[in-house]
Amino acid sequence: MRRTLWLVLISSLVFGLVAACAQPAQQPAAPAGGEEQVSEGEEAAAEPAVIKLGAAISFTGDKAREGKLYTDAYNHAVDQINETGGVQVGDKTYEFELVLEDDESDATKSARLVEKLITEDEVHFLLGPYSSGITIPDSAVAEKYSVPMIEGGGASGKIFSRGFSYIFGTLPSAANYFQSVLEMGQTLDPQPKTVALLFADDEFDIAVADGARKLAGEMGYELVIDEEYPSGTQEFSTLLSRVKSENPDMILLAGHAEESLVFVQQAKELKVNAGVMAFTVGPPTPDFREAMGEDAEYIYGVPSWTPALNFTGGEVFESTQEWIKLFEDRFDYEPDYHVASGVADVAAYKAAIEQAGTLDRDAVRDAIANIEVVTVYGPVSFQENGQIGGGTVAIQIQEGEVVAVYPDSVAEGPAIYPMPTWEER
Amino acid sequence: MFATQVAINGLLVGGLYALMALGLSLIWGVMDVINIAHGAFIMLGAYTTYWLFQAGVDPLISLPISMALLFLLGFLLQKYLINLVIRAELFITLLLAFGIEILIMNLARVVWTANVRRVATSYSGASIGVGGLTIPLVRIIAFFIALILAGALFLLLERTRMGRAIRATSQDLLAARLTGTNVSNTYALTFGIGAAMAGAAGTLWSMLFPITPTMGGVLTLKSFVVSVIGGLGTMAGPVVGGLVLGLAENFTSAYIGPTFPNLISFGLLVATLILRPRGILGGRR
Repeated sequence: MRRTLWLVLISSLVFGLVAACAQPAQQPAAPAGGEEQVSEGEEAAAEPAVIKLGAAISFTGDKAREGKLYTDAYNHAVDQINETGGVQVGDKTYEFELVLEDDESDATKSARLVEKLITEDEVHFLLGPYSSGITIPDSAVAEKYSVPMIEGGGASGKIFSRGFSYIFGTLPSAANYFQSVLEMGQTLDPQPKTVALLFADDEFDIAVADGARKLAGEMGYELVIDEEYPSGTQEFSTLLSRVKSENPDMILLAGHAEESLVFVQQAKELKVNAGVMAFTVGPPTPDFREAMGEDAEYIYGVPSWTPALNFTGGEVFESTQEWIKLFEDRFDYEPDYHVASGVADVAAYKAAIEQAGTLDRDAVRDAIANIEVVTVYGPVSFQENGQIGGGTVAIQIQEGEVVAVYPDSVAEGPAIYPMPTWEER
Repeated sequence: MFATQVAINGLLVGGLYALMALGLSLIWGVMDVINIAHGAFIMLGAYTTYWLFQAGVDPLISLPISMALLFLLGFLLQKYLINLVIRAELFITLLLAFGIEILIMNLARVVWTANVRRVATSYSGASIGVGGLTIPLVRIIAFFIALILAGALFLLLERTRMGRAIRATSQDLLAARLTGTNVSNTYALTFGIGAAMAGAAGTLWSMLFPITPTMGGVLTLKSFVVSVIGGLGTMAGPVVGGLVLGLAENFTSAYIGPTFPNLISFGLLVATLILRPRGILGGRR
């Protein structure tokens, strides 16, 4: 009897907790859902038409951190558009409505959800998930149903090399990620000669490494270490011991935020130094700098965008700096290139739909393919294969701030080179 | 020289694996419950240390605090939740532990966000150089704390009345009952101690690696592998298993390639199950 009582008591407690924690987890989707109800209520009166933008995105799982960046970006851009006049299609005004699903950072699940978004939720157009590995299957579903997808979270060449015509991406080609740092190396004195290239074993990072290997060869660098490691590695001591014995001038690591963190921490422990240490993900994001503190100093990053840039007179937001202010007020953190890329995706949809003058998917696809629009992320136009043109900016963390150091056209200051050794700090 | 460095790296991280696995192995051995939530407990220990560190408490001082908190959590969870299904099939307890893991992990994600955090003490990153070898200070501290805690657990189980009760319950449930052992309390204590060991491992882990709410899953898996390799039912099992796994991972990474350590560690797991199903030390089960 007592046992049953306890069981009931505790299970209700557990269910209560589950409900309590499930609520905020789904919050990103809530604004869209809320508006839907309002619009249903007013249906009889005015019927404010909506354009549904759907995406499977990682609210949970190991990509939850970046997933949130895109969720916030989509919500911010959509709300801004709806508040400032919506989307003009011919003489009719539409509002955007976001339909987001949690893919739990699982590529298979994500592709299934995209299919559901198309067939059950009947979204008009698709936004992207985060990470190349998930974008590859998601975009295949979009292509199968001939639904346009503009994605801002996958940069692997594999997404764009399959001859698909409905997929557009606003991250520069993975193969070019380290181009900025490698080019910068050639302007430095003494010029770095040897490179250690380390990369995680996922689609995106392999593509980055393939590109970097080719570029480094062309520029005359000598690759002394070229090593793949498993995604999610937390233990770099042994790899670092090897790097130390080769003593390269440049260390390039293509991995994820956590791996960048762990790598720097263990490099410090094992006193591994290099003239340049550059990471694909991590350095430009605020929590990398927060977590690393002074150890983040002098580290290089290669984002496609930095908050120091300013593009004015664009679609949706007046200028990059204006948008950053609004974004920080609402979300309480500084946006990085993921967020800017996500906003650019929504902005590109608005411009393309207005140009097409119809919601017909094929007409909108053609409009996207030919679009030329300025966004907070910079000018957006797509190459033949669907990927945005352009490359990355080399940044360095100097006194806790992200400083663009290369190319010269966007540089805010000179690079500090070589990085002071751990012993010197 | 390089090989020695690899061996040192392997031993140092192996000590931490050993500590992680001790809690899991204890609970498993005594209660026949595979605590899938073990990694989540480690995560909670790590976050306890992180937040106390933010408030200015050194991780080494927060170690007993995170152990105490996790002991309490483990004790209550067992007494009021897991105990309800303790006599059910293994699958039910497994499912319950799995549920607890998901609950804890997602609560942590909601409350603390998925941001990557790090406990950066003034001495983290410091290292001792011995004749060309580099021994990171924090790792050697963590290694010795892990060994001390394993030793303390050993003494607790061997020399105290409570420890005898725990061992008795594990060896012969009926006989333990007949001789007046309060089995329900003993189970709760055991679970609490297991969780406290996880808390300690979490504290040490947070000094070495960045932490996130989802860090637990892979740690549960590692603890599981270590427990099986080392063998259940002895205190030395997880210690030996941990060191073996640490060394195996590091040597594989150094000489075969950094993508292979998982292959080797799970290969070890399978080989152990085939060749020595009771683990390297082959404890009584």
